[in-house]
Amino acid sequence: MKKALSVFLVFLLMVGILSGCGPDRDSESKTGDDQNTNNSGEEVEKPDKLVVWVNDEEKQKEALEQIFNKYTEETGIEIEMVEVSMLDQIQNLSLDGPAGKGPDVFFQPHDRIGDIVLQGLADPIDLGDEKEDYSETAISAVTYDGETYGAPLVVETYGMFYNKDRVSEAPKTFEELQKIADEQTNASNEEYGFLMEAANLYFIWPFFASNGAYIFKRGDDGSYDTNDIGLANEGAKKAGEIIRNWFDKGQIPVGITPDIMNGLFKDGKVSVVINGPWMAREYQDALGDKLGISILPEIDGNVGKSFVGVKSWMLSAYSENKEWAVDFMKFITNKENSLTYFEIAGEMPANEAALTDPLVTDDPIVGAFAEQVQYGEPMPSVPEMQQVWEPANKALELLSKGEDTGVLDEAVDQIKANIIASGGGQ
Amino acid sequence: MSKVKNETRDKSRHNPKLAMILSILYAGLGQLYNRRYGKAAVLIIVETAYLIAFADYMNIGFWGLVTLGEIPMVDHSIFLLIQGLISVLLLAFGLTVYIINVRDAYKEATEIRNGKKRPSWSEALRHAWDTGFPYIFITPGVVMLMFVTFLPIMFMIALAFTNYNQYNSPPRKLLDWVGFENFVNLVKIDIWSDTLFSVLAWTLIWTLVATTLQIALGLFLALLVNDPRIKGKRIIRTILILPWAVPAFVTILIFSAMFNDQFGAINKDILSIFGLSFPWLTDPFYTKIALIMIQTWLGFPFVFALFTGVLQSISKDWYEAAEVDGGNRWQKFQYITLPHILYATAPLLIMQYTGNFNNFNIIYLFNQGGPAVRGQNAGGTDILISWVYKLTFETNNYNMAAAISIIIGLIVIGFAFFQFRRTRSFKEEGNI
Repeated sequence: MKKALSVFLVFLLMVGILSGCGPDRDSESKTGDDQNTNNSGEEVEKPDKLVVWVNDEEKQKEALEQIFNKYTEETGIEIEMVEVSMLDQIQNLSLDGPAGKGPDVFFQPHDRIGDIVLQGLADPIDLGDEKEDYSETAISAVTYDGETYGAPLVVETYGMFYNKDRVSEAPKTFEELQKIADEQTNASNEEYGFLMEAANLYFIWPFFASNGAYIFKRGDDGSYDTNDIGLANEGAKKAGEIIRNWFDKGQIPVGITPDIMNGLFKDGKVSVVINGPWMAREYQDALGDKLGISILPEIDGNVGKSFVGVKSWMLSAYSENKEWAVDFMKFITNKENSLTYFEIAGEMPANEAALTDPLVTDDPIVGAFAEQVQYGEPMPSVPEMQQVWEPANKALELLSKGEDTGVLDEAVDQIKANIIASGGGQ
Repeated sequence: MSKVKNETRDKSRHNPKLAMILSILYAGLGQLYNRRYGKAAVLIIVETAYLIAFADYMNIGFWGLVTLGEIPMVDHSIFLLIQGLISVLLLAFGLTVYIINVRDAYKEATEIRNGKKRPSWSEALRHAWDTGFPYIFITPGVVMLMFVTFLPIMFMIALAFTNYNQYNSPPRKLLDWVGFENFVNLVKIDIWSDTLFSVLAWTLIWTLVATTLQIALGLFLALLVNDPRIKGKRIIRTILILPWAVPAFVTILIFSAMFNDQFGAINKDILSIFGLSFPWLTDPFYTKIALIMIQTWLGFPFVFALFTGVLQSISKDWYEAAEVDGGNRWQKFQYITLPHILYATAPLLIMQYTGNFNNFNIIYLFNQGGPAVRGQNAGGTDILISWVYKLTFETNNYNMAAAISIIIGLIVIGFAFFQFRRTRSFKEEGNI
């Protein structure tokens, strides 16, 4: 009796709590976008300050601080710089944004845009006339579903490093490169004509793309058809054969890692490697004047289409000062400031005028990469890309171990299955 | 005279049920009826404070837990889920206090009716301090544990029943409860089930073989070093403990470089003497062998140290008695040494098994779960936990990762529970 009574009363209490549940809300606000109702042409009030999340890297912060100060001088808007690692920004924004503690502007590589848009964290921006000022590759990278989502600051891609002691000049074509690999490789002596991380889709992509492979078919408006995967088409199979051939003949050792490749190249045992500008300094310390840098060789008459990554400023969907935030983003990425950033932080500008400025093109290290950017293509920014890397790299690894190019078909099947299994593909 | 009589009549009329009902209506009322004014005041203040502080929060919390939000971009499902779970914890806490309050009222009312004298203020206070003492000291710890351990586990369990993945992420989308769908998919959809079972099989083999080997090697070496004929025990012990002194991740990374097929020291400098060369990192079978060997290397020093300690505590009398009875070496080991060792260390050995079951470090640092296997989602040496890592951070299948984590949790709990129950050292605490 006692127990039954108390259980009953507890139950009553629960019902009482639950029945009164839920927040009090006007039924009108159910539409969910009652923010920015006042963006109708008229002059927008200047905010006191803008909050910006910057990557936690010393040089980058130093450069940005200068640029931000200039902006404050010109407009009187205070810029609050908050240090958040680029890798953590999306996660933090998804938590801080709704809580009202997020930034107005944040900084992300373009291949995360699809993911960011899916989470509704960023709003598209209108770069206006200044859109022409950025390099075409960079704008195409930050375009998602026909809208521009970022003001590009930095572009990056990879190129070719060579050892001038072993080859007098950089190979201009794929045939020349293959010849170097054929003639100068002596695996028993640990000498190689040409090395690269061939089982890594990021670096091997030029050999696929230039033969006609594509990851997702891209339409004219810049949108990707994620149902059309071109990683196992004829061109891809051809590239697959090339890769298999390298490993088969021992021209590139199976299980090569970046450490091993860099070590051998620095020891002067490799003629040509493909790698990114971030390795330039280390190579130069080891090889000195013997180090040469160039764009990728021509494959079938076209310079290899390297993957281009673009880092851009993006507009938080939770920002309350969107107009000024965009103005600010344009300011940071104009020619003058892009060059300031390049000089201090050493990253290639995405601003076309800055990218073709002698300061960049005449730079002994960056010059070649700046040229390579115009031949490259941006990595797809759709969220489905996340499902591509693993199966594709797995297929490349299997090719390196001598499996037939059928692994590419399997990879495509697996990518499709993964996309569906992770909730996409509708 | 009449006053005393009045009071006794009063006491016999004192009704425990009434006290209980009053306490249920509002904490402290029953105590007021029992004329425990101090206690009543405390309880009334606690309930009022609780209601004022948490009513709103819990209101939104429970609503959020049920609906997971109604308006995208305004309601953030993850926040609501966490708030809901905290509300559950708060409610559980509140109910506990409430039940204690009701029981207390009933008990005291009964005592009053049976004529027990009302304690004085100082007596009551001392009594409360004496009985409450341990509780007062473990409360901060329990509260910490609730939020640091219990809440994340509840959150993970809750995620396994939602549709949270890359394409369905708040704040733009709202999450929904999907019941057991994720678990059903895990078994029904081919790309999940194929991988799940092959990964599970290797996880079990890995756990059993690697752990048993490290224990066996530790035992073997401990017995050898403990032999009275061995000189320089200290130095030998120090050397054997060394693998434990180097941080595991450093060891694993160095081994990973050493096992490289073409450039690693093992193939290039050691095995080449015998004209051998194995594809350590590119063939799943050899990678598994290498992993088991490395784990044995990493794991034996702990077991060795443990067993050495126990061996030294076994009294010589046992062995002398055995010798008198004509026992041989093996019999002495089987009937004296082994039972002693296992009796004292069984729980720690079980921990070794469960530790290896979730040994993410070695799998991921050695070869990232690779090499690749044709037609399988995970790598050739992925164990459940490293697969979960890939699902979460590489392909953003949060719901599936949570579902598999629950399975991992159940296996480990089941295994540990079963073993602990059967271990005598846990049954008879403290009387060896």
